[in-house]
Amino acid sequence: MDIKLLLAIITGLWYWFAGSIAGYTLFPTLKSPLFIGFILGLLTGDPVKGIQAGAAIEIVYLGIVAPGGNMPSDRALAGLIAIPLVLTTDTSVEIATTIAVPVGILGVFLNNIRRYINTIFSQKADQYANEGNINGIWNMATIWPLAVGLILRFPVVFVANYYGIDLIDSVLEFIPEWIMHGLTVMGGMLPTLGFATTMLMIGKAQYFPLFFIGYFLVKYFSLSTMGAAIFGLSIAFLIMYMGGFSSNSENISDKKKATNKIELTNEDYIKQMMQ
Amino acid sequence: MKNTDRQSIHLDKKDVNSTFYRWWWSAEISNSFERMQGLAFGASFGKVLKKLYGNDKNMLTEALHRQLTFFNTEPMWGSIILGSTLAMEEKKAQGEKLPAETITSFKTGLMGPMASIGDTINAGTIQTIVYTIAISLANEGSVVGAFLIVLYSIFVLFLGRFLMNLGYREGQKSIVDLLESGKINQVIQTASILGMFMMGALSATMIRVTTPVSFNIAGADFVLQDTFDMIIPGILPLITVLLIYYGLKYKKISITKMMLILTVVCLLGSLIGIL
Repeated sequence: MDIKLLLAIITGLWYWFAGSIAGYTLFPTLKSPLFIGFILGLLTGDPVKGIQAGAAIEIVYLGIVAPGGNMPSDRALAGLIAIPLVLTTDTSVEIATTIAVPVGILGVFLNNIRRYINTIFSQKADQYANEGNINGIWNMATIWPLAVGLILRFPVVFVANYYGIDLIDSVLEFIPEWIMHGLTVMGGMLPTLGFATTMLMIGKAQYFPLFFIGYFLVKYFSLSTMGAAIFGLSIAFLIMYMGGFSSNSENISDKKKATNKIELTNEDYIKQMMQ
Repeated sequence: MKNTDRQSIHLDKKDVNSTFYRWWWSAEISNSFERMQGLAFGASFGKVLKKLYGNDKNMLTEALHRQLTFFNTEPMWGSIILGSTLAMEEKKAQGEKLPAETITSFKTGLMGPMASIGDTINAGTIQTIVYTIAISLANEGSVVGAFLIVLYSIFVLFLGRFLMNLGYREGQKSIVDLLESGKINQVIQTASILGMFMMGALSATMIRVTTPVSFNIAGADFVLQDTFDMIIPGILPLITVLLIYYGLKYKKISITKMMLILTVVCLLGSLIGIL
């Protein structure tokens, strides 16, 4: 088997597994371009060249945190396509890095498609929950999404590394601009669904002002999520200690007081009318 | 099942750890826009819930649905939530009067803070330090950095396992105390407030909706987005969340349908150039 085909298969499978994030703590290793460079370098006989190419790409993505799992760019895809170029062709590390960045953005689309398709499996898992079929649920959470991931991710890397980067470029050009843009817009809008469902689940309309406080604290003062969490926790405790909450029994007496009050005022009103 | 039978159901250390490893393997595989890690949560709990509620199919189905709801956190720091939830399910199965909403509120209230802590400490700090060291070693021609990254992955795995056990141990204790002191209402309300606040904060960072609409009136450029930003920053993402919340709550639109609506809106908006 020639090295090009071998690399194409290995990188394709790698992208499938790393992109699926199977075994959560494996991903800092498997998605790292530096580690990818080291292993691909071992395969082609020059681990130092590989790890240096990987390190150059790693720098681009250093310090990027994926809040809520939303990667702004896919460094694994970037590494898996750019590093083989360095190892098997005359491409310089610099050129490979510039190729890597737009490729990384393509990876975000793939991830969004995956999370879009995965909604089907949660629906199916609900059905299995009705039947009490725990193995069915487990399969919906593992085997099926992994299968979809294989179909979605393997071909991209395999084709790119076997037939070259030119093909990827022409594929990207073939997709109309408005569809690509529409998909980007959708990526920005879809997290809304998760938030709206959580708010439905919390289910207390009287807490809505807190949603606005949280939203505008971040919008006006660019707070980090951690900073927001500190404020949120403080507000929650403040309300609790100031006695804003009462246990159930007190709630009932409050209600009684309130109804008494209304009755009183009604009586007053009637009295006034009588006079 | 009789109460006396129920009280004899106990989870052991093996149950806790195997739930952790199922979570570790599956946490991100089935991530979807609808539930995020909810399916993985439910799937990881399947075996334990079967052990706890096995003979009562209604209770099992109820518990499975409870754990299949929307969930999103940093999976390793979030393990502490899984551990405590496990303790609560055990108590519930043993016949304690633990309302299902308590478990749901507990999960939704803590997932945001744990995500912030996890992302900040793990991804934001330790991981970045490890990568930085690995990159500088690689630039000097050393491959040791690749192994450092592997060590980091192993460290996070054990951290998650530790937190899962901690959550199970302490969660169980503190939950009994809470039940006895009747403070559970306060905890639910504190968690709900924090949850609502965090939904606002996360909406502000994660939802991106902007408009490219601009006019040229008498030689002066009029950019609609600038006007929006001037009045209220982030008004478009905010309107999007509120509209979707409204649609889900009052128009009873299903999530799948809502997603299709969003797709059509995004693609059409991109085609006519308003999104």
